[in-house]
Amino acid sequence: MSLTRRSFLGTSAVAGISLFDPNIVLGADKTLTIALPNNPSTLDPMQISNHDSMAVSNVVFENLLEVDLDGNVVPSLAHKMPEISDDQTIFKFDLRDDVVFHDGSKFSAEDVKYSYEYMLDPKNKSARRTLFAPIQEIAIESPTRIIFKMKHPYRPWFQYMTKFMGIFPKGSREKLGDDAFKNAPVGVGTGPGAFVEWKQNDYLEVKKHANYWRKGVPAWDRMVAKIVTEDAARVAYLMTNQAQIISAPPPREFERLKTAPGISTGSKVAVGGMWFMQTNTKRAPFDDVNFRKAVSCAIDRKRIAKDVFYGLMDPSAVPAPTTVSYHNADADKAVGYDPAKAKDHLAKSKYASNAEFELLVPSTPYLFDAADASVVMQSQLAAVGIKMKITAMEMPQILQRDIAGTQVASLLPLMGPSDPTFIIQICYTADQLMSKSSGWTSPALDEAIKESYKYQDAARLDPIYKKIQAILAEDCPNIWLGFVGVSNAWRSEIKNFKPNTGLTIWTRDVQFG
Amino acid sequence: MWAIGGRIAGSLATLLAVSIVLFVLVHTIPVSPARVVLGIDASEADIAEFDRDHGLDKPLWQQYAAWIGGVAKGDFGKSVIDETSISRQIADTFPVTFELVLLAFLFALAVAIPLGAISALYGGQTIDHLARIVSVVGVSIPGFWLGLILIAWGAVSLGWFPAGGYVPWRAGALAHLQSLALPAIALGLYYVAIISRMTRSSVADVLLADHVRVSRAMGLSRRRILTYVLKNALPPVVTVSAMSFGYMFGWALIIEQVFNIAGMSRALLSAIFRRDYLMIENVVLVITAVFLAANLIADLLYAWLDPRLSR
Repeated sequence: MSLTRRSFLGTSAVAGISLFDPNIVLGADKTLTIALPNNPSTLDPMQISNHDSMAVSNVVFENLLEVDLDGNVVPSLAHKMPEISDDQTIFKFDLRDDVVFHDGSKFSAEDVKYSYEYMLDPKNKSARRTLFAPIQEIAIESPTRIIFKMKHPYRPWFQYMTKFMGIFPKGSREKLGDDAFKNAPVGVGTGPGAFVEWKQNDYLEVKKHANYWRKGVPAWDRMVAKIVTEDAARVAYLMTNQAQIISAPPPREFERLKTAPGISTGSKVAVGGMWFMQTNTKRAPFDDVNFRKAVSCAIDRKRIAKDVFYGLMDPSAVPAPTTVSYHNADADKAVGYDPAKAKDHLAKSKYASNAEFELLVPSTPYLFDAADASVVMQSQLAAVGIKMKITAMEMPQILQRDIAGTQVASLLPLMGPSDPTFIIQICYTADQLMSKSSGWTSPALDEAIKESYKYQDAARLDPIYKKIQAILAEDCPNIWLGFVGVSNAWRSEIKNFKPNTGLTIWTRDVQFG
Repeated sequence: MWAIGGRIAGSLATLLAVSIVLFVLVHTIPVSPARVVLGIDASEADIAEFDRDHGLDKPLWQQYAAWIGGVAKGDFGKSVIDETSISRQIADTFPVTFELVLLAFLFALAVAIPLGAISALYGGQTIDHLARIVSVVGVSIPGFWLGLILIAWGAVSLGWFPAGGYVPWRAGALAHLQSLALPAIALGLYYVAIISRMTRSSVADVLLADHVRVSRAMGLSRRRILTYVLKNALPPVVTVSAMSFGYMFGWALIIEQVFNIAGMSRALLSAIFRRDYLMIENVVLVITAVFLAANLIADLLYAWLDPRLSR
């Protein structure tokens, strides 16, 4: 065979492409690479404040219970769901006997008591201590049985377990120090992945826990979480197989990814993914219920969900997604989009002649970019005669103003626990973190929340949740906009993966196709 | 020698002035580091304790003296956000950005100087017009957009390059250079345009000089004349190139973001988002030092190329 210039170039090109093909290095070992949009702030399970951290911290640490992919609370380090006393204040957990930490030490009730007591001690400054504050006492009955006594019925704490806490070995804090938990928690978790390395702004790596108590998982030997902040770059990582799963694909790309060959996508509404306009009822013009209702009725949430978020948002005018059983459709309708009703409320308002206000909008995206949506809202409000001035501000400053109650209105995207009372409790009950931001409380609401803490089952909880929404719709203390859809995109060869309701990536059960 | 000493002293004085301005600017930002670290619900007592622990309760001049004293000894301090060593972060990320900028710079020089020289030699002809189009395109295309186009073409469509990330040398020279090729082109193209226009203009001026006409009249070879022309045309190109090298550290911020390269510029962006003020201060100071060093080297080269300037 003669070697012509053309054949030489052709052969070289093929060889070159083979050498250059980045896909060739992937799949050689069982490494799962995921791409996250934000750099985790900490890996310490009792200090988690950034939802991206959880994609790794939930692989390293576990708790007695966990929230599964469908949002159900299921046993984890507990052998089964706890026995609960009739008055809903005593929780008896039977623990698994086959669990070991990454350093090989055996897990027992001593570790659970130590972990919770360490977190509850104010001097250890756990970011989420107040959420577990109703825990009154923790008693060990045997190495595999532990009892939590609560000050009062407090259903939501099951939901907070996976999101805001994890179990670590007794004495580990004194031995390693808090910084080790924050930056390099080696040997201190029971989860499927043991911490290996964290290079700031670049990647985090865990390896398979060789003695993990769940048999057959994880399927990967290494999991690498790459920090890829740019939306387009994250999509490119997926398309080139540099990452097999990506978090938060940009809404504008999501439709295209749905039909891209070799790519799978999924989206699910997150009960904790709230988006709302926090209006201050102590300050004009939101001190007038008619003005608040006029604003609420002027915003076409469905249009924003469709045109700005490409369907990745569930529009709702009440603090409940439309897809859940406790969504109160009547309350939603009462304060939902209706321009005629908006004009009517505005006419009844004392601010009918000078209807204007300032909205604080995050200057850089947090969870998702709300800037475009605020401009659409501005035009919708203008259509009914309300002038809205948009002021871009950094999220910490907005939150500072909200907490101090000095804002008039602010646009807040938050990712809280899935319990429906979480955000209502912190915004509309007295002496809570965000109480001053709304300036609104209601004895009827307090009573309903307190009542809800007694129950675990939907049959009794749904009517209470609906009642809470009706109370809020009646006085409309703030403007609910909707719930963010959790969306992921992944390579089709990745099996047994789907988005979960915690807005993070759950990799434990992933299988390679 | 005195001139060089003067230039070095001038650069150090500039760096000191920049450090003061930088320090004052960063410390007048309304959101306090304590609030960022401890959270929005931290009590005033917690804030005071944090400030005391980190020396933030001291007068501003004392804080400055402590910081600049540490920097002079190579100790940039610790991040107030996560307590990690900033010296370590800079040591980890600076080589990455430096290599990216160096590759982009070499790419820019390798393309721009021949392009500019050819453009001047063939002024008004097709090749000159083409070179001008390249320049206009290079100046007009935003770096982030070019980066995305290169990713779509080189990584997603062809699969020749990774879509992003930095592969260290230890993973293999080919994979390493592969990971930097597209970012270097995206970063360097703008400066191809800038440097090639300067080269063209400078070469065109020198071509009209008397000594070139005399050289031609004396019958010197074309290659020899071109050597003289290029040497005489280089000083302004060196100045622009040195400034470009410094500016590239700034533009690398966008390129590192688009290509997901964990370099110093990306660390700066991350520090901005996290409001890690001490990290911001230190990285900006390092970039300023690089800029000043590049200009100092340019001045020295300038003097070497044109000895009249050192007299």
